[in-house]
Amino acid sequence: MTSTADPISLFQRAASNDTEIDREALASLLVEIARNVDPYYRATFDGVPAVDPRMETLRQLLVGREISELSRISKLLDEPEQLAAALGGVLPSATAQSSPAQLGEALAPVVERAVQRSIHKNPQNLTQILYPVFLPAIRKSIGEKIDQTFQSLNETLRYIFTWRGLKWRIEAWRTGTSFAEVVLKHSLVYRVEHVFLISRNSGLLISHLAAEDATSEDPQLISSMLSAIQDFVKDSFKEKEQDGLDAIRFGELRLWSEVGPFATLVAVIRGNPPEALHEILRDRLLHIHAEYADALEAFEGDSTRLTGIESELQPCVGLSQEEYTQGFPWLLAAAVLLVLGLAGGWFYLSWQASQRWQAYVARLQSEPGIIVGEQQRDGWQFYVAGLRDPLAVDPQSLLAGTQLEPDRVHAQWQSYQSLEPQFVLKRLIASLSPPETVQLSIADGRILAKGEASTAWIGRAQAAAAQLSAGGPVFDTSAVRDLEKRDAERWDAYVAGLRKQPGIIVTEQTSSGGQFHVAGLRDPLAVDPQSLLPGTELDPARVRSQWGPYQSLEPEFVLTRLMLSLVPPQSVRLSIVDGRIVAVGEAPAAWIDRARAASRQLSAGGPVFDISKVRDPLERDAEHWQAYVSQLRGQPGIIVTEQKMDGDQFHVAGLRDPLAVDPQTLLTGTELDPARVHAQWQPYESLEPQFVLKRLMASLAPPKSIKLSVVDDRIVAEGEAPISWIDRARAAAQQLSAGGPQFDISKVRDVSPEVRQAERWQAYVSRLQKQPGIIVAEQKVEGGRFYVSGLRDPLAIDPQTLLSGTELDPDRVHGQWRFYQSLEPEFVLKRLTSSLAPPKSVRLWALGDRIVAEGEAPAGWIRRARAAAEQLSADGLSLDVSKLRELTPLELVHLKEAIQATGIFFESGKPLPGPEQEAVLDKLAGQLKEFAQDARKAGVTARFMLTGHSDTTGREMANLSLSAARAETVRALLKKRGVDPELLLVRGAGTFEPAEPENNKQTGSSANRRVSVTVNFD
Amino acid sequence: MLQRKICMLGGFGVGKTSLVRRFVKSIFSETYLTTVGVKIDKKSVELPDKTVDLILWDLAGEDDIGSFRMSYVKGATGLVLVVDGTRPATLSVALTLRERTEAEFGALPCVVLFNKSDLADRWALSASEIDETKQHGWPAYLTSALTGEHVDDAFRQIASMVVG
Repeated sequence: MTSTADPISLFQRAASNDTEIDREALASLLVEIARNVDPYYRATFDGVPAVDPRMETLRQLLVGREISELSRISKLLDEPEQLAAALGGVLPSATAQSSPAQLGEALAPVVERAVQRSIHKNPQNLTQILYPVFLPAIRKSIGEKIDQTFQSLNETLRYIFTWRGLKWRIEAWRTGTSFAEVVLKHSLVYRVEHVFLISRNSGLLISHLAAEDATSEDPQLISSMLSAIQDFVKDSFKEKEQDGLDAIRFGELRLWSEVGPFATLVAVIRGNPPEALHEILRDRLLHIHAEYADALEAFEGDSTRLTGIESELQPCVGLSQEEYTQGFPWLLAAAVLLVLGLAGGWFYLSWQASQRWQAYVARLQSEPGIIVGEQQRDGWQFYVAGLRDPLAVDPQSLLAGTQLEPDRVHAQWQSYQSLEPQFVLKRLIASLSPPETVQLSIADGRILAKGEASTAWIGRAQAAAAQLSAGGPVFDTSAVRDLEKRDAERWDAYVAGLRKQPGIIVTEQTSSGGQFHVAGLRDPLAVDPQSLLPGTELDPARVRSQWGPYQSLEPEFVLTRLMLSLVPPQSVRLSIVDGRIVAVGEAPAAWIDRARAASRQLSAGGPVFDISKVRDPLERDAEHWQAYVSQLRGQPGIIVTEQKMDGDQFHVAGLRDPLAVDPQTLLTGTELDPARVHAQWQPYESLEPQFVLKRLMASLAPPKSIKLSVVDDRIVAEGEAPISWIDRARAAAQQLSAGGPQFDISKVRDVSPEVRQAERWQAYVSRLQKQPGIIVAEQKVEGGRFYVSGLRDPLAIDPQTLLSGTELDPDRVHGQWRFYQSLEPEFVLKRLTSSLAPPKSVRLWALGDRIVAEGEAPAGWIRRARAAAEQLSADGLSLDVSKLRELTPLELVHLKEAIQATGIFFESGKPLPGPEQEAVLDKLAGQLKEFAQDARKAGVTARFMLTGHSDTTGREMANLSLSAARAETVRALLKKRGVDPELLLVRGAGTFEPAEPENNKQTGSSANRRVSVTVNFD
Repeated sequence: MLQRKICMLGGFGVGKTSLVRRFVKSIFSETYLTTVGVKIDKKSVELPDKTVDLILWDLAGEDDIGSFRMSYVKGATGLVLVVDGTRPATLSVALTLRERTEAEFGALPCVVLFNKSDLADRWALSASEIDETKQHGWPAYLTSALTGEHVDDAFRQIASMVVG
C-alpha cells in the first residue's frame, strides 16, 4: 500500500455529515472484502480510488436513517424556538411527575422574584387575583374590631359627664385602677339567662341550663331551631366558614354562640354584655370539648354518656352585672321641697304685690293734677290719700293695668284746682268756649290762642287772661285776629276797587254790625259789582248794593254804545285814540251819513267821534278810474274818445295804434277790477315819429350797420348798407304820407363788396374762435379766397355749418382742421355720454371743470362709470360718480321684497312641490313677470336666482342633489306659467343655508325644505 | 333524656304539617316552613322500657326536588316519608327524596305514611305499590290526619327503629 492511496487515512477524513462511525475500521473492512472478492480489483488498483461512489452508497445504506434523524435532533437543539416548543409540550407533565418538595424548593426563589417583579411592574394585577381571598378575611377582622371599639366608646361616652361618671372617677382614683375598667365594671348591665349546648351534627340539645326565674319554651325545640337557622343562614348566603352565627340580637335579648368542633354553646343574654363574655364562653366550650370530646362526637341524642356536663355549664349561667342602685329618701326630700315651695310662693306673692303697689303709686305721682300726700300698706290692704284736680285722670281707671285688686285699694282725694297749664287750658276751654276758628295750645308752659275771633270773644279772652292769678301760666291772646276788623278792611278794599271801575260812581257806603251797604251810579255797560265780590272773601249775603243807572261819557263806554247803535260793517274798525273815538276803513255812504249824525249827536262833554278816515268805495273807485283814464290819455298811440262810470262798471272807447301799449297792462297797479272795465278800441296808424320808426324797422329790416333814430320829429337813417337796401329805404320814405314825419336816408352810405366780404370773414373767424373745441391757429385772405387752419375736436361744431348765414361763398372758404381731443368739460361730457351711453335715469353734467353723474343706474353701468372716472383722473379730469345710486326704483323695491320673501315648500325627500303650493307658484310667476317688465322699463334686466334647500335628514350629497332638483322643478313650473326662462337662474344649496338651524336632536325641519328666490340686476 | 332527630319528607301538600299539627307538640308557627323552610316539633313516644323524644324536622314539602335543603337532614337518625294516597306522583317524590338523603348521609331507618286514608273514594294507590315499600323493609301505614288513624303507630314504629 502506498502512502498516497491509503484508504484508511482517506476514511479518517471527516465527512460533511460526520456520524462518529469508526471510519478506519469500516474502510479496512471494506477494502479487505473487495480484495478478496475480485482479483481484478486487486491487480488493477493498488489502493482505493479518491472518490468511490459505491462507498458512499454503502454508507447511506448502513447509517443513512440515523444520520438524518441525528441531524433533525441536533437542529432541534440548536434552534431556540423549536427547543422551546418541544419543552412546552412536556413541561406540565414533567412538573406533575417531579417530587413536590424538590420542585417547590427549586421554584420558590424564581416565583418570589416573579411576584416581586409583577408587583413592581403593576400592583393592580396581583391585587385583582388576591382580592377574593383576602377581602373577606380583612372584612371580618375589621368588623369585629370596630364592634368592640364602638361598644367601649359608647359606654365611655355615656358615663363620662354624669354624676355616676364622677363617682366612678373617684372610685378609680381610690382603688388605683383605670377609669375604663371602672366604667366597664359598672356600665355593662347584663344577665346570662340560658345556656344551650347543642350538637353540631344533629342540632339536638345536649344540655340546657337556665338562670333563676328565667323562662323559655321547650329547650329541645329551641336548640333544633337554632341549628336549623344556622343551617339556613349558611345555605342561603353560601357561607363556607366553620363558624356558625356569632350573635343574634333581638331588642334586649342577645344570643351569643360559640362554635366548637362538635358542639355549639349558645348563651341567651338579657342586657348589654361586655365583649369579654365571649372569651368566657369560648373558654367554657373549649373546656367541655377537652373533657367530653369522644362523647360529643358520638352523640346521637342519648345524653346519658354526658352526665356531669351540666356542671361545666353552670359557671356560664347567672353571669351578670346588676345595676347599681342606692335608696334615696324620696319622701323626706319631697316634704322639704313642698314646705320650701309654699314659703317661697308666699314671699314671692307678697313681694310682687308690693312691687305692683309701688308702681301704681309712682304712676299716680307722675299724673298731673294728682298730688299723693300719704300712702301705706297694711297686710294685703293699700291706702292712699292726697289732692286731685277734678279734671285729672280718675285714679281708679289707672288700676286697670296694675293687676292690683281694686277692692283692696282705698283712696281719699281732696279736690283742688291745679295751675298746671293743661288744667288751666281745660278750664279756659270750658269757660271761654272758643269758636272753631280759634285753637288753644300749650307752648313752653304758656297757653297760646291762635286764629280768628269776634271782637267780643277777644275781649272775654283778654279779661280771662287778666284774671289768671299770678302763679298760673300766661294766657297769650295776641295771636288772635279780630274778625270784624278784618271784614272792615276787606270792605274798604272792595269799595276802593269799585271806585276805580269805569262806569261806576260810588256815592255812599256804610258798614255796621257785619252788614255792608253801598250805593251809587252805574253804567249798564260797566262791570257787575257782584262779580268783583268773590275775590274779596266778603260774604256776598252780607253785602247790599243799590245802583242808579246812568250813561258814562268815558270813551270806552261811548265806543261800546256806538258799536251797538251804528253796527259798523266789518270793513270799519272803531278804536279809541287819545280819548277820541276814531273810525277807520270803508263803508257805504249811508253808513257814513249815520255815523256823521251820531258824531254830531254826541253831547258836548263826550269824546270826539272822528269818521274822517272812513271812505266810500264807489268814490274811491271813481278816483282810481279817473287816474287810469288820464294815464291812458297820456299814452302815445292811444286816443280816448269816450269814458264813463255806470254804477261800479267802467266804460272807455277810442283809437289805438297796434304798436301802442296795451291798455290792459296799464290796469295793473290801479286797484281797479279788470272785470269791471270794458274797453273798445279802434285800430289806427299813428303818425307819431316813434310809431313810424317802429313800422319802418319792421318793414325794412335794416342791416346792423344801419342805425335809425328820431331827431326833431324826423326819422334819420345813418350807416352803411348795400345798395339794394338803400333803394328799398328810399321807396319807403316816398310812401310815407304827407302828414307823417320825414324819413331821412341821406346819411346812409353804400358799402363795397370786398369790404363787406372781409367783414364777413372776420365775423366768421371770430365766431370760430369763440367755439369751444375749435382752436384757430392761422387765417388769411388771399386773392378773394379765405384760408383758415387749426385744431378741432371731432365733437365740436362743424365749421362748415357756421358758414351758413355769413353770406360767404363756401366754395371760397378753405378750412384745414386737425382733430384733437378737447379737455374742456363739455367735450369730456360729450365723449362720456357717447362712450358710457348712460340710461335715461342718469344725468351727466359739467360743474366747473368736473363732470358729475347723478341718478340711478344698474350696478353694471355704475361699474363702467367708475372705470371711466379712473381713466379720466389720469388726464387730470374728474368724474364724480358719488351721486350715483344703484337702480332700484321704489315700486321695484317693494316687489323685490315680496318676491324674496316667497318660499316654495316641499314634503320630505320630494323634489316636486305639493298641490297646495300651486297658488304660491301662480302668485310668484305674476310677480316675477311684473318685476321683469318694470325693470326693463327702467333700462335694466332683472334676473331671478332660484335656490333649492333641503333639511338635514339623510346624506349630505343626496340633500345637495335634492335641493338642486327642487330649484330646477320650480324653474320649470315658473316657465310653464309664462316667466321668461332666460331670466331664471338655478342653484342648489343643500343644507348649507337653512331657514332655521337644525341640530342632532332636531332634524327634518319643514321650513328648510324650500326653494327661495333672490332678485339681481344685470 | 333520650332524643332523636327525625326528618319528615314528602311532596307538596301531602299533609305532613297536618299530621304534625294534630299529634305533636309544637311551639313554632307554620310560617317557618315558608321562611326558613323547616318547622321543628317534638313528639314524645313512650316505649316499653323508656321514653324517647322525637325531634321532628318537618321539611317544607317541595315538588321541585332541586331546591330541597339537604343540610337540614344532617344528623337525622330516621325518616318519615309522607305520601298523599290520592296522588300517586307523591310516592315517587318521597322515594326520590329518600334516595337523595341516602346518597348524602347513608341509609336511615324509614317508615312510609300513606296519608289521607279517609279519602277512600279518591284513593289512587294500588296495594301492590304499598307492598313494594314494605319489601324494602320500610314499615308502611295508611294514616289520616283527619281521623288520626295509625299516626301514633307510625311514630311509635319509627321511634322503636331509631332507638333500637
